[in-house]
Amino acid sequence: MFYQTPLKSVTVIVILAALALYAILGGYFAGEIVVEIAVLAILAISLDFVAGYGGMVSLCHGAIAGIGAYTFAGLTALAGFDGFTATLAALAATAAFGLVVGAVTANISGIFFIMATLAFGQMAYVVVFEWKALGGDDGMSGVSRYDFSAIGLNMNGSVEFALFCLLVVLIVYAVAAYVLRSSFGRTLIGVHSNEDRMRALGLSVWKHKAVAFSFSSLLAGSAGILAAQHTLFVSPELLVWTVSGEVLIVVILGGLGTLAGPIAGAALLVFLKQQVSDYTEHWHLVIGLFLIAAVMAGGRGVYGQVEHVLQRKARSDANA
Amino acid sequence: MVADADFWLTQFLNGMQLSMLLFLLSIGLTIIFGLMHFVNLAHGALYMVGAYVGVSAAASLGNFWLALIAAPLAVTIVGIFLYVAVIRRMRRAGPMNQVLVTFGLIFVLVDLVRILWGDIALGMEQPAILSGPAEIFGVSYPAYRLFIIAVGLVVMVALSLVLSRTQIGAMVRAGVENDAMASCLGINVERLFFAVFCVGCALAGLAGAVAAPVFSATPSMATDILIPTLIVVVIGGLGSLGGAIVGSLIIGFIQTFGAVVLPGFASVLVYVLLAIVLIAKPAGLLPARS
Amino acid sequence: MLEVRDLSKNFGGLRVSRHIHMALEKGERRVVLGPNGAGKTTLFNLLAGTLQPTSGEILLDGKPITNLNVEQRARRGLSRSYQKNNLFEGLTVGENLALAAATAQGRTFSCFSRAHESRAIRETVEEVAEMVGLSDRLDLGVAHASYGNRRQLEVGLALATKPKLLLMDEPTSGVGPGMIDAFHKLIATLPRELTIVIIEHDLDLGFDVADRITVLNYGEVVFEGTPEETKGSDVVREIYLGDWQGDA
Repeated sequence: MFYQTPLKSVTVIVILAALALYAILGGYFAGEIVVEIAVLAILAISLDFVAGYGGMVSLCHGAIAGIGAYTFAGLTALAGFDGFTATLAALAATAAFGLVVGAVTANISGIFFIMATLAFGQMAYVVVFEWKALGGDDGMSGVSRYDFSAIGLNMNGSVEFALFCLLVVLIVYAVAAYVLRSSFGRTLIGVHSNEDRMRALGLSVWKHKAVAFSFSSLLAGSAGILAAQHTLFVSPELLVWTVSGEVLIVVILGGLGTLAGPIAGAALLVFLKQQVSDYTEHWHLVIGLFLIAAVMAGGRGVYGQVEHVLQRKARSDANA
Repeated sequence: MVADADFWLTQFLNGMQLSMLLFLLSIGLTIIFGLMHFVNLAHGALYMVGAYVGVSAAASLGNFWLALIAAPLAVTIVGIFLYVAVIRRMRRAGPMNQVLVTFGLIFVLVDLVRILWGDIALGMEQPAILSGPAEIFGVSYPAYRLFIIAVGLVVMVALSLVLSRTQIGAMVRAGVENDAMASCLGINVERLFFAVFCVGCALAGLAGAVAAPVFSATPSMATDILIPTLIVVVIGGLGSLGGAIVGSLIIGFIQTFGAVVLPGFASVLVYVLLAIVLIAKPAGLLPARS
Repeated sequence: MLEVRDLSKNFGGLRVSRHIHMALEKGERRVVLGPNGAGKTTLFNLLAGTLQPTSGEILLDGKPITNLNVEQRARRGLSRSYQKNNLFEGLTVGENLALAAATAQGRTFSCFSRAHESRAIRETVEEVAEMVGLSDRLDLGVAHASYGNRRQLEVGLALATKPKLLLMDEPTSGVGPGMIDAFHKLIATLPRELTIVIIEHDLDLGFDVADRITVLNYGEVVFEGTPEETKGSDVVREIYLGDWQGDA
């Protein structure tokens, strides 16, 4: 079961506060990095929701975020809708896509589920790639950021936008945590733990999985909306399956099934990338070795390992 | 009309050529998959290594045929290293961890290749004897591409014979069908897996070297070939030779003819097909386990 | 209450259930006996919907349920416990029971309520825990629980759905005599209107709790009668080769 433990709260707040501080003090470049971390963190939280708590390891979350980004970009840049309407539409589009994928794949498990989500993600990629009205493989520019000038915020400022993205991370985390503690979330965890028994207890498992996947997709969609506003540009590259692979890496580095871990994982990956690419252009090599080591060391991830050690200590203290 | 027939025959041969390359890759992957439930995303990276080794060997030895031997050998050695260092320990780690570790291996192998050979595409000379066009049913078609088809067919026939006629083939089939039963029968499943893994690596290396003169060696071939290969494996059915053959032909021909008939949406067709198979027949078209 | 009409199941050429007829009154306690491989668990799988019969019909409260799947039958009030523990690993005993209770009460879909912490669920959890003897183990992680506790929880999960019909597959398999006694008592304390079918190996328990006994052999019902009649039956004695002659 999911409990919003003090350790989770402290971790989330400390990381987000540190990133906010970094964005404020570090100038333009720091702001860019923080936005990158925030987008990745939202995606990773949404993936952890289905993978860590629902057992559905998706390789199409990058594509889902891409659908959100393209819907937002298309509606604002091409159709002239305002940011608010476009946001709602983009979230609805990703939730609908997620509902279809979730419903269709609900009875598939293990590697077949991974492959099926890969197929749906690649389908979305190819469609976007070939859709000339959306710019095809050139992508689409002309996206604009939210207009908060009414309350005196200039979102085109690097710091302002970075802080806004961190706020969205916090909201997404809180929503995911709230849902995981609700009846719906607990049932999802039950399905993950023992799908057959849940069925024998009278649950329509596929319906539950489909809705969970849809909800997770909606969260992923919000990452896509921010990504589109970040670069003011969308391209099919957002939807390639390797992006989804990178999100999965973030979840694993932070800690699968911890919800707070993915935020740590996103910060870790982006900073690591930054550091390594100062020395060598071959940062993939380092990330790859890091990933292999992380999985082979037990796969709990950075945050997951800390949580595990503290829990074990608490148990042995209680027994003593 | 004659020109039309020629056109379609050429497309057919293109489809065959792509199918055979996919077959060389997917057969190793599918047997490893079926025998040990191991998901090796780095299989495409081994294909890339094969292509680069082929290019270098052909250039330094000055002989295409020696390169064709050197590439599978080198890739097998790389594979053995990966097996000992990583794969053996990840056997029972579950699909997600296997996906992640082998995803990491792709990163590592691709960057190592970029460090050793650089970022640019490297070409490879075709052997003189195969460099010209050949006449087949009145159509002029590059001889080297016919050679690729021939290599695929030879491997296909050889593997069918090994799997159906030899003792090791029987052991592999038993292992795919029921590994617990196979180990009860006294088959050393671990050693069998290792042997099959090596053969799979060698075939991936061979495919890379054979493909290099046509497509050149590039770092992106590691991931470009991976997805179609995985699709072949899943559509065909894990662990089945027949499935790999049927899957390779289906994907090879859909991609080739789709590109002609429905330009742009050929790959959508492939993914739609994959989704349909996964939903309607999750075990694939010709599953090894009944 | 439960009626089984001419139920058969073939696996290829293998006929594991043959023309089974059964009729249970509301509140009846029926024990199913039979040697290993007699098709007892197959019968449960057919009743619960895990397997589809080759032919025949199953009626619950007079309505056919043959074409319903596992979850639909569960929602009609059919609940089962398994021969092999089939629990929610990684959760505590209390969370397991709450999950079962909430699922049976249909409180699974709300993202806004925390039904698992509601009074209705808590009461069910405490009540069931009391019945199966796990009241002081609610916070124990299932993964750390003893085999006996896990066995108790297995039955507890089935009870937490407040079923009309309870199928118990060898509830006492692998536990010690003390716990077998406890199961005797548990079954005696269950509400009288609950209909129960028990697959049993422990013949004493079978005779003790059963209103009627069904004996399966080679997938067929070879005998049905009261415990007294069963003890006197030649067919049954033959199958069991005098297993309980001494006890009886």
